[in-house]
Amino acid sequence: MEELDLRIRNHVYSSFVRDETAPTPAQAAATLGVPEPDAADAYRRLHDAHALVLDPGTTRIRMLNPFSAVATPHRVESAGREWFANCAWDALGIPAALDADGRVESACPDCGGAVELEVVAGELVRGNELLVHFVVPARRWWDDIGFT
Amino acid sequence: MVFLRSEEHLARWLASNGWEPGATLSAGTLHELAGGWWRTRLDPGWRPRTPAASQRILDEVGLTGEFWKLA
Repeated sequence: MEELDLRIRNHVYSSFVRDETAPTPAQAAATLGVPEPDAADAYRRLHDAHALVLDPGTTRIRMLNPFSAVATPHRVESAGREWFANCAWDALGIPAALDADGRVESACPDCGGAVELEVVAGELVRGNELLVHFVVPARRWWDDIGFT
Repeated sequence: MVFLRSEEHLARWLASNGWEPGATLSAGTLHELAGGWWRTRLDPGWRPRTPAASQRILDEVGLTGEFWKLA
């Protein structure tokens, strides 16, 4: 990964966690003192490298896994804030990434009923009875990450 | 991937979507996996993980076999 891409990637993640919003390439370029087209190219390379996910055909950030930049059915409270996760795996990944306790609220896609999980001091203390299903095998996860 | 309340809910959800079963984990195993996979995501010195390192994380929580091969 190019040094510029790494700088941009780390800036985007730290900005998102601090500000709850993902910077645009123009904003990242201004902060880091690089030309905006170079920042936009870096966003596209980071998407291609699966280091973040853009909305199709744009430089608008959709996923900074495990965080989602858009609302989803997987809500997480952690480190005194509320977040959206991309999926069940990412929902439990947010407390891990933040190194904090966390509470996950989601819904069973079969019955629509609420499901809740809680992580305290790194342990899953609520929700252990739940199941998680992977429909897509690992080598195809990135064929359609939104579906995965 | 999603959280489901039970095997019964899982079977009904797969059938209603016409999907073949993939792999089912307990939430506890997913929690272990999430810890290994995401713990370093916000580290200032973050670097991309190699596919082999990612595969090891899956292996360490018992996710082995063809379904879990990344490449």
